Amino acid sequence: MIHRRFASFLACLALALQFAPSVRAFQDEGGESKTEKKEGDKDAKDAKDEKKKPDRWFAVANGDVYAGHEGLLRGATVLSKNGKIEAIGYDLVLPTDTKVLDAKGYRVYPGLVAISSQSLLGNSASDFEDTIDPFNSRMTLALATGITTTGSGSSAVKLKRFSVDDMVLNEKMFATFSWSNRAPRNKKELRDKFRVTAEYLRQYRQWQKDVKEKKDLAEPSKKGVDNSCLSVLMGEQTAKFVSQDRDELLGIAQLAQEFGFRPLIEGAQEGWTVADDLGRAGASVILTPRDRRPKDEQQAREGGTSIENAAKLYRAGVSVAIVPRVEGVDLGGIVGRDIIHLPIEVDFAVRGGLPEQAAIDSMTIVPARMLGVSHRVGSLEVGKDCDLIVTDGDILHYATFVQWAVVDGRQVYDKEKELFYAGIRPRPVVEAQAHKLDKGETETTPKEGDANDAEKKDGEKKDDEKKDGDKSDKKDDEKKDGEK
Amino acid sequence: MKQKLLIALAPCLALGVARADLQAYRVGRAETVSHGVIEHAVILVEDGKIVTIGEDLPIERGIPIVDKPEWTVVPGFVDCYTRIGADSEGGEDMSPEVKASDELWPGADDYAEIIKYGETTLGIYPAGNGIPGLAVAVRTKASSAADMVLKDPAYLKIILRADSGSKKRVKDGFKKADDYDEKVKKAREKWDKDQEKKKGKKDDKKEEKKDEKSDEKKSAADDPKPDDKKDGEKKEDGKDEKGGFVPPEPDAKSKPFVDLRKKTLRALVSINTAADYLHWLDVLGKEDIHWDLRCNLGRPNADTDMYYVVTKKEFDLDQDGIGDKKVRVVIEPLLNLMPGTMRLRNMAVEFSNAGAKVVFIPRSDNLFDHKNWLANVAEIVGAGLKRDVALRAMTLEPAELMGVADRVGSLDKGKDANMVFLNGDPFEATTRIQAVLLEGKLVYGEVNQ
Repeated sequence: MIHRRFASFLACLALALQFAPSVRAFQDEGGESKTEKKEGDKDAKDAKDEKKKPDRWFAVANGDVYAGHEGLLRGATVLSKNGKIEAIGYDLVLPTDTKVLDAKGYRVYPGLVAISSQSLLGNSASDFEDTIDPFNSRMTLALATGITTTGSGSSAVKLKRFSVDDMVLNEKMFATFSWSNRAPRNKKELRDKFRVTAEYLRQYRQWQKDVKEKKDLAEPSKKGVDNSCLSVLMGEQTAKFVSQDRDELLGIAQLAQEFGFRPLIEGAQEGWTVADDLGRAGASVILTPRDRRPKDEQQAREGGTSIENAAKLYRAGVSVAIVPRVEGVDLGGIVGRDIIHLPIEVDFAVRGGLPEQAAIDSMTIVPARMLGVSHRVGSLEVGKDCDLIVTDGDILHYATFVQWAVVDGRQVYDKEKELFYAGIRPRPVVEAQAHKLDKGETETTPKEGDANDAEKKDGEKKDDEKKDGDKSDKKDDEKKDGEK
Repeated sequence: MKQKLLIALAPCLALGVARADLQAYRVGRAETVSHGVIEHAVILVEDGKIVTIGEDLPIERGIPIVDKPEWTVVPGFVDCYTRIGADSEGGEDMSPEVKASDELWPGADDYAEIIKYGETTLGIYPAGNGIPGLAVAVRTKASSAADMVLKDPAYLKIILRADSGSKKRVKDGFKKADDYDEKVKKAREKWDKDQEKKKGKKDDKKEEKKDEKSDEKKSAADDPKPDDKKDGEKKEDGKDEKGGFVPPEPDAKSKPFVDLRKKTLRALVSINTAADYLHWLDVLGKEDIHWDLRCNLGRPNADTDMYYVVTKKEFDLDQDGIGDKKVRVVIEPLLNLMPGTMRLRNMAVEFSNAGAKVVFIPRSDNLFDHKNWLANVAEIVGAGLKRDVALRAMTLEPAELMGVADRVGSLDKGKDANMVFLNGDPFEATTRIQAVLLEGKLVYGEVNQ
């Protein structure tokens, strides 16, 4: 045991030595850039302000990084600067004041995105900047689920703990319309609105061209034009419908194709029966795989719910986002149906045939796209926000826990520190972890060291260095395998 | 020290017989709060003020002595945040001009009761939500409302919650102060112009002298002081033409916020949760004012999450924590449950260790809680709060919060003789209050030999 510890200490030393020169190089770079700024900006105050706020570095090291888009980097490090991902990869140079979260043996996923939720942010569903409660336990529970961004109403908001600033990513994303079999007149009216608006838009675009030549040309009349329809047709907002019924879904698909927009449909329980039509219409759906709906027995055709709903829609090219039935944290009813069981809800879609990557996408990048924030969250890529979760296993496995959650390059959740799940399968203490990850165990080298402690001590350092060399070679091999 | 005492007593001796209001107290122990503990303390009181205090001082013959070697004396307790003796009706919105001093009623039975518990100074705040108005510092016993007042206003109460409404109210308040500044600026410009016109009319010979004078005036008026006001009044009367610039008076609604910026008034910000604190810092922005916090730890069914914002360091906050800001926190002597758990936290200790200044108030305004105030604080001392911090939190700290520390809150020469006599250590369970002095007068108990 003592020998092992000593070996790991030497390994650390070796690593440190390896990093040392490059760290210095990094500092030099920093120094240069600072002097440049000073020369450039004559304003001394600005320079002072910059000095006050040094760059905030944060790294999640040595985890298996599931970056999204089927990208997997085993034992890689994610480095962030001021909340944005600076680099993902191996042998990264970490600046001296980097806070490091060692994720060796754990998995790193992008933070989950709950397409819609309730009450995670505080007591209000609007004015988040003024009303957010960044200490409330519902937010903590959501982070414990892995959710780092959520849709609330038409806004996309980050679960930014310990801060009341800059949590809103996007606002007014959706224009909500109703399309129901029970109100045929409304359907006609909506179609008319779209028709008038489309006609207006055509005239307006023509006018935009013509007005360059004839400057006194009158702008087309906006009479009868619906602003929601206009912003949908202009691509500023997404048209959102709530519908379960096959006929309604077909109607929405037709409407969308007729006027050239991509609808977002919440519910879509009978979507599997018209998957191809929805796919052709470029629809996206928000599903709850465990929702139930009986088949209408008076109809001969297919209907009702199917566990294959998500899978069939996905195969037809429909973007699928998944959300549990209860959008808040619910302590009543059957356990496992509220927002803090998002991955478990997704599992039911996997059970119905949805590929696992699509399942992960359905709670990361797809909802991020729907909320119009996929340039910032939903996958781990350089330049995006450093919102990630570190789990002790496959995110889709029912026994997996989020161990740490990171938002904007800042650790906001630690399973062992919050009391909700700390008692369940406690994280092994660091020493035990070091033991688990001892070189002698991970690599199939003969147990010489144990037998000949005394002999080895002299040559140990060199041996360790050699081993490191071996390891990096192996990693390269793995990479190549991955590429193949 | 002895010599000083003799000098102090010299005029009395000259009178032959000691004056009726001169009284000496010799007790086993005096907790001065401001400068530690004095064993075998002698306190000499004259005209309701402490003339001198020290260890084992000789007392001139003729001065009546209360000799209680088994007693301990502490300063009269200061409850800086109470509505006792007043109703709980107030406005909902922004009314910073409302004064609690307008609703004082010295005849309330409660005052006669709480003075028995050693509370000699109170801070009565205006009821209501939003920004309810200005609190007043009062003595607990007086014959009229005007006589009760020690300091008015003592502080401005602001209620801040994590909602747009309450944040907007604060912003509006400071906007009013901005408007006032604008008004002063305009008045100033107008005044300057008028001066120039007057100057033009003056004779050529006197011009040089006048110039010098007006320069002086300007420099004096650059920072408007109360002195200027007097000059201005004279000028309006037309008696004195030399008068400087008079800034216009702010109206009642904006005055508190103008005073906050001038730092002649403190704000006491009432918050319930950690989120409220961050929102307060958010709405405060770069405003530089004196402020303290009232954290309600005793809400019904309260799990408090205040521990999140005690220091910046522990949870890596964007902002400074309450301890880092070194402000006062007015709290009840209570142990709180961590949310969702059965773990108790001693917030008073956490605040105190982090650098914040703890101010205790009774758990509620029920007489029962006033009666048990000292016992409840003793519980917190038992749970780890430093003894001197606890005693200070009931005396000098609230006095400083209300700006009356020059008169009450500690046993010091020149301060009001507000004293509480106990038959032992204040934080021992068996200790009871034996007598209470308010400005030298015995208002409770017996001190007969």
